[in-house]
Amino acid sequence: MAVFDQQYSRRRFLQISAAVGAVVSLGGVTAACNVTGGQGGTFNWMTWGDHYIDEQLKAIEASDKIIANISELAGNAEGFAKLKEVKGQLDMISGDALWVPDAYYKDGLIEPFDINDLKVASQLYPFAREFPIWTKPEGYLGYPFGWSPISIYYNPKFVDPAPDSWEVLFDPKYEKRIVVENQPEEIVAYMGKAAGFDDVYNMTDDQLATVKGYLERLKPNVLRFAQQATDSVNSMISEEAYLITGNLGNEDRVKDGGGPEIKGYIPKEGTVGWMDAEMVVKGGANTSLIFPYLEKAEVAENIAANFITHGRPLFNEAAYKVLVDQGEKDRADRYHYNESESILAATTLKGPGTSTEKSIQLFNDVFAA
Amino acid sequence: MSTEIVGGAAVAPPASPRSGRAARLRQLAPFLPAGFILIGLFFVPLALMFVFSFWSTDVNLDVLPVWTLENYVNFFENPGYVRTLLKTMLMGAGVTLACLVGAFAVAYFLARYVSRRWARFALLLIIVPFWTSYLLRVYSWQAILGEHGALNQVLMALGVISEPSFLFVYNDVGTFIVLVYVYVPFAALVLYSSLERFDFTQVTAAQDLGANSLRAFRHVLLPQIRPGIITACIFVFIPILGEFLTPSMVGGASGLLIANLVANFFKNALIPEGAAIGFMIAVIVLILLIAFRRYLRVEDVYARG
Repeated sequence: MAVFDQQYSRRRFLQISAAVGAVVSLGGVTAACNVTGGQGGTFNWMTWGDHYIDEQLKAIEASDKIIANISELAGNAEGFAKLKEVKGQLDMISGDALWVPDAYYKDGLIEPFDINDLKVASQLYPFAREFPIWTKPEGYLGYPFGWSPISIYYNPKFVDPAPDSWEVLFDPKYEKRIVVENQPEEIVAYMGKAAGFDDVYNMTDDQLATVKGYLERLKPNVLRFAQQATDSVNSMISEEAYLITGNLGNEDRVKDGGGPEIKGYIPKEGTVGWMDAEMVVKGGANTSLIFPYLEKAEVAENIAANFITHGRPLFNEAAYKVLVDQGEKDRADRYHYNESESILAATTLKGPGTSTEKSIQLFNDVFAA
Repeated sequence: MSTEIVGGAAVAPPASPRSGRAARLRQLAPFLPAGFILIGLFFVPLALMFVFSFWSTDVNLDVLPVWTLENYVNFFENPGYVRTLLKTMLMGAGVTLACLVGAFAVAYFLARYVSRRWARFALLLIIVPFWTSYLLRVYSWQAILGEHGALNQVLMALGVISEPSFLFVYNDVGTFIVLVYVYVPFAALVLYSSLERFDFTQVTAAQDLGANSLRAFRHVLLPQIRPGIITACIFVFIPILGEFLTPSMVGGASGLLIANLVANFFKNALIPEGAAIGFMIAVIVLILLIAFRRYLRVEDVYARG
């Protein structure tokens, strides 16, 4: 092109560069104005990998121009600590059960809202719109998503008779045959359940001393700590492990992976569990996109697909009906999809506790050399 | 700067103290980027870790800037932490020794008996594993050493064992094997660099003068490659003090090292508690580096003689 062959003086070159820069900047500003003017845009979301499906995100981006910029959430404590640092740089964050009121809300990091302002919320089980722990005078603290109690899974080929208690984890027959997820606070909590304690995230020193005995009995049976849920599933598929602890749905994950038939149960002493929510971050620059996003993302069809993909129950009642229509009733019922209210009522929910530091010290003490 | 001609040679006038300082500062200028990186990415984080280690965490997981020695007291009052730290150092020493022995044999062979061209090709093969992620390599070892892994299959086929064994995985043995695999290339590269510059005719001369092979090795070869050996030790031993991934993947419940215990604190936002142990590891590393500073020669790793 002739324009590129032309000789320019330094002055002329700077003038042209400035003009091009101004046009580009103006275009950017105009585009940004459009983006934040109800025409879509990008919001920042810290969440777990099973809270979305890439295809669904792409569909929402295509239809509503809303882009979810996702950063991976490793755990509640880490998410809470990060949000305290970055605050409004995030727009939405996921969190579990008592972490929502006792950490995020208490520290003024989230914006309560009227859940009934969301049309899609009518698809939730009614009780999920009224959890007392998430109800505050200013509004509801989060949009309910999924839930699960921690269960025990066993391979009946090696574990006999069929267990119904935490006690099976201490049986010397299963030395180095148990895989548990690497979540020290949760392990200490369900050992507290095994010991018969209720408030296992707020244990006293005496209770922790009792739990130490249970951890010491557990230690010789633990083959390894799974870094993520799929590690536990793989250890069952390979039959390295006879018993694992984990969320609902591991029977199907093991079977889908070509492994043996395994069985699962919620221990009779009770268990710990989680239910999570999407929270709107106070001061987030793009929170106006959250409701439009949730209206699209949380519809029954998407939640049913999420259930099939990620395999744990969710709070969308209409999605249960979709699953039934799709011939997935058996799977949904095996995952107790339709029993969330009764199961969660008997579960100690995850939350920040007064014994967190001592629980970690205790875990390190037992599993140190 | 003006100069005067003395006897046909240009001589600079004596520099004033100020111009001398300016010249020295100019000489230091090229090191400023490295200096900023060292300060910004090493000393500042280390100082922050030091400060945090004397603070505490409340039940809301907020860090309280209240000075306390509690985190250090907890460490020393709990024999499990001290034992795990000592075990980590012992593991580091064992792996370092194994890496040195294995790497020396390879490096010696390449430096003495293989042409430089083929030696470089062999070194390339040694570092090929670095082209894949550390995580994948450790996962592979999980499959190799596992109950139904390749090693058990081979041993059963050979009749060495009658049923699959966990002898090689989910314990300290598994951690040791994988750490040796991970770090032996570092040792091999450093030792090859030292041996490549060594004049092997000196060994022949020593033997001609009556020294046996061992004596020639000890008194001729070893002293001359000692800086390389020390550098290899540092390159292997120090990273092992902070090893988290390998013990968590193949160490099982009994093979955890000190970094795994530190990680448990950080995962639960107990930053001061983790910082205290982390700082103690950093102090051990600094002491080792100071002790070996006279042998730490970067040119042994990168430069060619």
